[in-house]
Amino acid sequence: MNPAITNTRSNFFEIAWSRYKKSIVVILLIFLLFIAGEVLVGNFLSFGQLLLTMKLASYIALFALCQMIVIAAGGGGLDLSVGYTATMTAVLTASIMDGQNSNLWMAILVALAVGIAVGFANGFLAAYLKLPALVVTMAMANIVQGIVNAYTKGADITGKPSPILQIIAAKSTGIFPNVVFLLIVVAIITMILLYKTSWGLKLFGVGSNEIAAYLSGVDAKIVRWVAFVVSGVLASLMGLLLIGNLGLAFKDMGSMYVMPSIAATVVGGISLDGGEGNYFNVILGSIFLQTLTNLLIALGLGDAGKWIGFGIVLYVLLIAYVRNPRSR
Amino acid sequence: MNEKTSTLKRWVGRPEFSSLLIMLVMFAITVYLQKNFFEQKSLVRTYNAFIPLILMAMGQAVVIISGGLDLSAGSALSLMTVVLTYIMKKDDPASGFTALLAAIGVAVAIGMVNGIGIGYLRLPPVIVTYATSYLWLGIALFLRPTPGGQITEWFRIFYDFKSVPGIPDFFVEMGKTIPPALWLLIIGCVGWFFLSKTRIVRYMYAVGSNNDNAYASGIDTGWTQTVACIINALFILLAALFFVGQNQSGDARMGDPMTLKVIASAVVGGIALTGGKGNVFFAIVGALTLSFVNKIIFFANIPNAYQTLVSGLIIIVAIAGSLVYSLFSKRAMLKEGMK
Repeated sequence: MNPAITNTRSNFFEIAWSRYKKSIVVILLIFLLFIAGEVLVGNFLSFGQLLLTMKLASYIALFALCQMIVIAAGGGGLDLSVGYTATMTAVLTASIMDGQNSNLWMAILVALAVGIAVGFANGFLAAYLKLPALVVTMAMANIVQGIVNAYTKGADITGKPSPILQIIAAKSTGIFPNVVFLLIVVAIITMILLYKTSWGLKLFGVGSNEIAAYLSGVDAKIVRWVAFVVSGVLASLMGLLLIGNLGLAFKDMGSMYVMPSIAATVVGGISLDGGEGNYFNVILGSIFLQTLTNLLIALGLGDAGKWIGFGIVLYVLLIAYVRNPRSR
Repeated sequence: MNEKTSTLKRWVGRPEFSSLLIMLVMFAITVYLQKNFFEQKSLVRTYNAFIPLILMAMGQAVVIISGGLDLSAGSALSLMTVVLTYIMKKDDPASGFTALLAAIGVAVAIGMVNGIGIGYLRLPPVIVTYATSYLWLGIALFLRPTPGGQITEWFRIFYDFKSVPGIPDFFVEMGKTIPPALWLLIIGCVGWFFLSKTRIVRYMYAVGSNNDNAYASGIDTGWTQTVACIINALFILLAALFFVGQNQSGDARMGDPMTLKVIASAVVGGIALTGGKGNVFFAIVGALTLSFVNKIIFFANIPNAYQTLVSGLIIIVAIAGSLVYSLFSKRAMLKEGMK
């Protein structure tokens, strides 16, 4: 054997490992979960289960995209208002669509308006005035939920999603859920936007080193502001998907996605300090979270066991690869 | 220059001062709307409604100053109420002490787990305390799937002196002006006053403002942040004692809505989320501001549906106000300097 060849080969593997370490680890973890489920519960490792997991994980992953863009812009960015924005859009558009395809364009316009408004306000406060994003977006979540409460006045929300939305969000083509295709399209667009456009470059630049970006003529405030607007618009459009999936709108349909979306981002190996963003890993993180939830439910330990398991696994996972060892 | 005025000016220039102003405005509006605010009974009610949030905000402030954040505060509160009521038996006064000791143990354990994650393993505080919040919720649900439980009679001492049988009249009289809730706050404040004189609290400021520099100057950053988390857990325990005395039961989900309010209180009180800045006593001001706002919403007959909306707006106004204020005061100070 030529030593030079083995050498390059080991280099190749080393490079591959160092570049795709996080993806490989998450994929292995997901497989581990499926095998654990198969051993402990049985009937867990099936194609149908995998597809169902994919479908549910798609929703987390799409919310996590909002999160990832805001987090990547740095400055301690986080968006706790995503789920609530989605709720507001779903509630507002339910009666507009009223089960008619012809009203869908109005609903989309409303969704865009809601998303831009919320994102603009978030961005103004958190990016432009530099108030802490955690508190700003949390307060914005309160405001948005308050608007929903005031709009519904405690009554049931009438109206149905348009059939097109239901096809996209709830139905399947063959055996594949349509929302998975949507996720793939969104992922490709995201990858192009983040890695092939100047805006993506600016986003990561601002996120990893604000001063360096500023000195190179990038206005960090504007870039972060845009990140918040993008997050708001995406979250708002997610509202349309949620109502399409569930077939009706209710008062807290989106709020349960907020923290999982952040967790998925972190499990996907995105540093909360900003400057990083690999959406593929975030999708894997979402699948991991969803598989974990499925497994814990399937184990039948009840609520208590489910949450204890979730907490412990998340903690251990964080130790395993988000730990930030001190460099000496 | 006159020493006195310059100290005053420096004090007015601090960003915390604006939180104080906002709080005073809210206080004035509350007093205007609630005609019987200063009556003894309504004052006691006010203390009871405000003090748990104040205590938890103080604890949160300690963690934030040391460079962390505790999203598990609410579930930790629930867990402590559950543990207390799980151990106590109604007919056994001694079980109250056992429960108290166990709760202190649980508080220290909660602080340790959070602190090890934040301090030693250097995980992002937002996400690690998010993970532990599910841990506390799960354990609490395991012990008590539905709200319930019982307490020994003397444990009501943490809520109301006069409902404790066989208590000296002196306490009952005192309870009318200084109810147990206020005593808990006094315990918290005095405790923090003495703690804040210690070296480790000064280290907290150093660690919070720059972890690496603090480490390089020989501070045990891991331990410092762990201690901050333990102090926070003890503050939460004080709030838990009050709630157990009040509700005479434990509930695994009671604390969940508190978490974000607690963090908002600390931020409104001028504690910078970036760490290393702020005064724990000003977390009281922040918590008071939010509590007064809730009272105003209640007394101003704002429909229920608008309450979340208004409280969200107030949080933004309060933190934006302190920012604008500090900008203006800085500018004023610069002008003063140029003269």
